[in-house]
Amino acid sequence: MKKQVDIKEKGRFCGNCHYHNAYNYPDQNFCFLKFQDRENPVVSALDCCPEWQFKPQECFCLDETLKKNKKRSSR
Amino acid sequence: MKREDFLNARVVHMELKPDMTVNQLVKQFYNSGSFGAGRLASACDIFEKMVRDEKCTVFLALAGAVIPSGLRTTVANLIRKRLVDALVSTGANMVHDLVEALGGHHYKGHWFVDDYLLYKYHINRIYDVFVPEEDFVKADEALINMFDEISAYRKMLSTSELMREIGMRLKDPKSIVRSAYESNVPIFLPAMRDSEFAYIHLVHTTRSKKEEALKVSAFEEVPEMVKIMEESEHIGMVVLGGGVPRNSVQHAALMSGKGLDYAVVITTDRPEQGGLSGSTIEETISWGKLKQKADKTMVISDALIAFPLMIAAVLERLGKDFHRKKNS
Repeated sequence: MKKQVDIKEKGRFCGNCHYHNAYNYPDQNFCFLKFQDRENPVVSALDCCPEWQFKPQECFCLDETLKKNKKRSSR
Repeated sequence: MKREDFLNARVVHMELKPDMTVNQLVKQFYNSGSFGAGRLASACDIFEKMVRDEKCTVFLALAGAVIPSGLRTTVANLIRKRLVDALVSTGANMVHDLVEALGGHHYKGHWFVDDYLLYKYHINRIYDVFVPEEDFVKADEALINMFDEISAYRKMLSTSELMREIGMRLKDPKSIVRSAYESNVPIFLPAMRDSEFAYIHLVHTTRSKKEEALKVSAFEEVPEMVKIMEESEHIGMVVLGGGVPRNSVQHAALMSGKGLDYAVVITTDRPEQGGLSGSTIEETISWGKLKQKADKTMVISDALIAFPLMIAAVLERLGKDFHRKKNS
C-alpha cells in the first residue's frame, strides 16, 4: 500500500493524468482543465495541474521527457 | 427489343500511348465501355454536362476520409472555380481541412503498423494516413476560441452559417472552408456532431455560461438546402462515398418536389446489406429523389482514384478559360 502512494507522489505529471494531451511532443502538454478555466493551457509534460488525478497511461511523451530531463541533469 | 439491338455497339479495345492526357485515357475507357472503365467514362460525361448546364446547381457530397488523404486542394479549387455550388460533408472531413488550415498536417503512413505504439506516440491513423494528436489539439484550441468569439454575437446558427463564420476567420487560401467563404458557396454538415466538432462544442459549452453557449441546429440547414433546390431549375449531385451527406442531398431534392437531374456516385459499397452508401441509383428513383430520366451513373471505385481522374478529364475538356455562366 505504501509503495502505491510513493508511485502516486513520484508520478505526479500531466503526462499521466486524465486531462492532458500532447501539444509539442514530447515536452509540452495541453491541459484541458486549465483551458476550461481560461488559464494558459500549455504546460510542461512534467508539470501537473491542481486537479491532477492519477490515471496511469503508457505515454511516450512522458517517458521521453523524463529521459531527456535525465540526460540534461547528468551533463 | 430485337436481338440485333443488343449487339449494335462493339467493344473497342483500349489503345494506350506514352504521351496521353487524362481525357485521352478516359476516351479509351469510353471505347471499352466495360466495367468500371465504362462507368468512369460515363461519370466524366455526366459531370461535364452538369457543369455546362447553366440552369444546374451542383451539390458535392463527401463522406469517408477523402480530405485528409489528399483531395483537399482539389475540392477547394472546384469551389473557387464554382464547378461546385454547394458542399455537403461529414463533419470530420471539414475538421481535417481545418487541422491543416490551422497549421497541422497529415502524413503518409502505413496500414501495417503497431497501433498501440502509435497511441503512445499520440499519432492517430486513418488507414495509411497519420495525423499527430497535437495538430488536432491545436485545431481544437483555435476552434473553441472561435466558438467563444462567435457566441458573443450569435446564439443560434445553422451548420452552413457556422462554416461561414469559421471561414471568415481563416487565412489559408487552400482551405475548403476559406474557399467556400470567399466564393459564397454554402457548406452543410448534416452529421456535424459525429466529429471533433462535438468535442469542440462540449469544451466551449463547459467553459461558457450555459445561456451564452453557441447552439448549432441540425434542422436549420434543411430549409436552406430545400430553398436552393427550389430556386434551381436543374439539380446535380456528385457523391464520394455516400452516407449522411448523400442522403441529405437526395432527401432535400425530394422535399423540394423536384428530384435530381444528374447524379454521379463513386463508392465501393455494396447494395445487398441495405445501407444507403451502397444503394443503387435505381433504388433512389423509387423514392422520388432522382428523376427517372436523370443522367446517372455509379462508379464502383476508391474515390481517391476515380474522382481525380474524373475532375482532371473534365477540366481538360472545359479548358483553362471556362467560366460557368450560372455564377458569373
